[in-house]
Formats: sequence, structure tokens, C-alpha cells
Amino acid sequence: MNLPVISIGRKRSFPPRVTAHTERFWRSLENGQFETSQCNDCGKKTFPPKPFCPHCWSKDLTWAPLGRFGRLYSQTVIHAAPAVFRSEAPYRVCIVDLDEGLRLATLLMADQPPVLDARLEIVALRYLDGPLFAARPLPHSSHLVSELLPPS
Amino acid sequence: MPKAVAILGAAALPVGKWQTPSDSPTQLLEHEVLASLVVDATRDGGVERTDIGSLAFSLPRPYTQQKYFGTFMANYLRLPCGACVSETMGNGMTAGLAFEAACNEIRLGRTKVALALGINFETATSAAEHMMRSMRTTGDVDFHVPFGFTPISWYAMDAARYIHEFKSSREELASVAVKNRRHASLNPLAQFRKPITLEEVLSQAPIVEPLGLYEVPPRSDGAVCLVLADEDVARASGRPYVRIRGRGFYHEGAHQINEIPNDMIALLAARTAGRSAYEEAGVTPEDIDLAEVYAPCTIIEVLVSEALGFAPRGKGAAMAKAGETTLGGRIPICTSGGLQSRGHPAYVTPFYSFVEVMDQLRNRAGQRQVQNARLAVTSAELGNYNAALVHVFEAVQ
Ligand SMILES: [Zn+2]
Repeated sequence: MNLPVISIGRKRSFPPRVTAHTERFWRSLENGQFETSQCNDCGKKTFPPKPFCPHCWSKDLTWAPLGRFGRLYSQTVIHAAPAVFRSEAPYRVCIVDLDEGLRLATLLMADQPPVLDARLEIVALRYLDGPLFAARPLPHSSHLVSELLPPS
Repeated sequence: MPKAVAILGAAALPVGKWQTPSDSPTQLLEHEVLASLVVDATRDGGVERTDIGSLAFSLPRPYTQQKYFGTFMANYLRLPCGACVSETMGNGMTAGLAFEAACNEIRLGRTKVALALGINFETATSAAEHMMRSMRTTGDVDFHVPFGFTPISWYAMDAARYIHEFKSSREELASVAVKNRRHASLNPLAQFRKPITLEEVLSQAPIVEPLGLYEVPPRSDGAVCLVLADEDVARASGRPYVRIRGRGFYHEGAHQINEIPNDMIALLAARTAGRSAYEEAGVTPEDIDLAEVYAPCTIIEVLVSEALGFAPRGKGAAMAKAGETTLGGRIPICTSGGLQSRGHPAYVTPFYSFVEVMDQLRNRAGQRQVQNARLAVTSAELGNYNAALVHVFEAVQ
């Protein structure tokens, strides 16, 4: 496991569709593994995982682990939500820049808004019907040492 | 050498709530409304129905029961066309692309006169149901939507980043909504015309933080018909007209966020498309008299004003607060009232921008007339301004 796993006692509000290609991503996530596709030709990782490399259009890809640390690029709290998310509103979402140079968007699990550029980690969310992921602030502001250690 | 294209005339429905509920005993139907505008627009443009050789429609909302709307309208209008009859879709850029489709038929010499037209009726559908569709129009259905992102939540994150990077404030951004409402109060086509104060904007319920109700677009119905013509036809008409002097388009190859971290609030697409449009027109931002930009939220108007060269980077919000983008200011922006106050019938919104520019450049904008307006800019977008379409227009007397 390279991600902390948090159990959520309900089903996902809008489950992602799973393809023959992304099935591996979601299954790994369920087990606390964060990984994505990496190109065997140009070496670049891509997120979300894809059956081809968007950088060089090679179809020769492999799976590679993705580090869980990054920083908060931006965030908002959504009050006006679509019908399926209405019972969750207001909820906080964000854009994360992973240390590996990939940008993603996800839930932000934080009661108070962290300042932008704050350090974050990705966590796996295990719902009753399958996984999602989220970001959360690291518990203290200086993480240089703890980030080098594997999660307990 | 492509033909130069002119806007000769237009007719537009005041933006508002027009759609009747499906159980209403009497319905207001899209084809009847739009046909009436076609007749008015051709009269405004001084063209004969037999001159029209092409119809470029924006796609109606899925709530419009009459499907294949464009070809149905050709029948309803009894209008044989020797050049394309098309129906275009491209989210918020839809009407911009339909406008391009009409222009291109003229540029290619396939017709001398074309109509760019469309109708967006949606307000009888509840917001919760509408959002079940609209949430799938931005981001990635499998890797973003499951977290609950909505179209305007991306703009809200632009706002948070802008405030953080440039030490701006919600107050500065909110001043754009006050300014746009003031402009809308002078526009008979606008949906919300009662002036508002900064305090009222700031005290509205939050929608996507830091943006409240008056800083995001309303839901709206609208319909527009524009008459476009080969410039030779426009010149021969002896009437004032508006000439397309430059255009630019750019898609940055991203949708909402770039998977390689970039400067999300620089609006690369608007910068690039704007540069192309200015270059083709042979003008600079300093030459422009007014801009009617596609900006669903206050923050986007600020970011576009910077990307199109009307404000230095990071200064757009302060410039708006100082009144430089207000009527009478250095560079009036969204004299129509913009998307927050003129309204946002999304698939026809860029048509309303062209109508405003035409009224301004033909010196018939009434109380909101920009004095001696000669050059104007419009923009339209996809995603979080991941793509932009920019036009430069010129008044010809
Ligand atoms: Zn590659």
C-alpha cells in the first residue's frame, strides 16, 4: 500500500465507469495502491491512466506507482450541487499538483480551507460499492522527514 | 482571396424566462419564436428572403422537443438554400461556431447572404435536473464528475488562485457584477436590470466559494438571428454595417485542467486567439473601443481582460474596481450587462455578444452607447477557457 485507506459507509454518488484499461487503476486503488500508466517509449506518466501515451501517441505502456504527495493549486466549496450530490453539499473540491509533475482534481477532505500551495497527500476512499480517491492536508506544515517514510 | 464578411442586421429576444412548462395548456414554441426573429432580422438588414443562401443554427437544448431543428426550420421558413444548412454544437462556444459556419459560407463564395441563428430554451427544467446534464459537460465524466465538480466550480478555483497569487480580493472581483448590472440597467435585452450595490453582491448566498449568487450566471432563455453578408452586398446597401476585421481561434489541447501543471489563470487560449485576431486586424489592444467577452463568472471577465491585453497581468480586478471597464471608462467591457446580468442562454450567448457589438458599432446602443465606437472585440470559450474564439469588428459608416 502506498496510500492511507479510509472507509466510507455508503455508496458513491456518481460511480465512475470502468473500462478494460482503467479496471486495473480502480482495483489497485481499492487496495491502497496509487498507480497510473507510463510510456515505455518516452518514459512519461499520464493521469488519468490511458491505453496510449498522450505525449507521443505510443501504445506501448506499463503501470507505474504514483507518489501520493503534492500541493494544493486551488480549491472551492460547492454549495449548489447536482441532484445526486445534493445531500453531500456543501463539499470541498480541489486541484492538486503531484510532486511527480501531474495535475489532478479531486475531493479535498479538510474542515478548514488550507492555504493554497499547502502540502497535501492523496488517500484512497473505500466506499461500499468501490473506491474513489481524495486529497487531504498533511497534519503539520513541515513534512520533509515524514514524506520520506512509508506510511505506517 | 477570401471575401470580407459584414454583419448587416439582427433581431434578438430579450433574455429571460420564456420556456413554458410541459404541462402548460398553451406552449411558447421555439420554431415560432425564431421564425419571427428571422423576419425581423432580414428587415433590419435590408435583405430579401431570396438573397439568403445559407442557415447556420446553434443546436437547441435537449429540452427542445422538435429535433433536427435546423432542417425543420428551413421547411418552416420555406427557404431553399444553395449553401450549407447546418446545426452546430460546442458548449458555450456553440453560437460562436455557428457564426463562423455562416461566415465561412460567405468567405468561400458559396452565398452572398447567410443567417447565423438559434434559440436556447431551458428555464422550465429545474436546476437540479439541468445540472445532472451540465456536470458532465466539464471535466472528465469518470475522473472528475464522481467528486461532484460543476461547470462553475472550475471558475471558482480560478478565483481562489487569482486572489492568492495577485493579492486580490472577493470585493475586487465582485465589483465586476455591480458594473455589469449597471450596464444591464441600460439594455432592453438584459434579464436583470435593477441596479445592485457591492454590499448586495457580497451578501448573497455562496454558490461556489468565493463566488455568490450575483457573481455566477443565471439560467436563461434567449434567441437571436444575425444577418451576415459579403462586404460587397453590405457596401451596396448604403447602410452602416459592421465588418469582421480579424479572428483567432486556439485550443490548448486540455479540458478544464492540463494534466501537466500550468498557469491555469493565464488563459493561454484567449491570449493566443486574441493575438491572432489582433494580428489579422492589424490593431493592438490599445486601439479597441469596447469588448464584449464571454465571461460566465466575474473572475473570468477579469482573466479575459488580462489575456486580451486590456489590463496588465494581475491588475484586471483592481482595474474593474477602479471603473476603467465601466461605460465611460478607459475600455468598457460587457456593455450589454455580461453573462451575470444580460443573462446566459448558453448555446446562444455569443450571438448576444455579436448583437451588442453591432448595436454599439452602428451607434444605436441608446443610453449605453460608447462614444465614437469604431473597433470592438468579442470572445467565446470552451471548458475553463481551454479554447477561445476571438473576433475584432470594425464600424463602417
Ligand atoms: Zn510517450
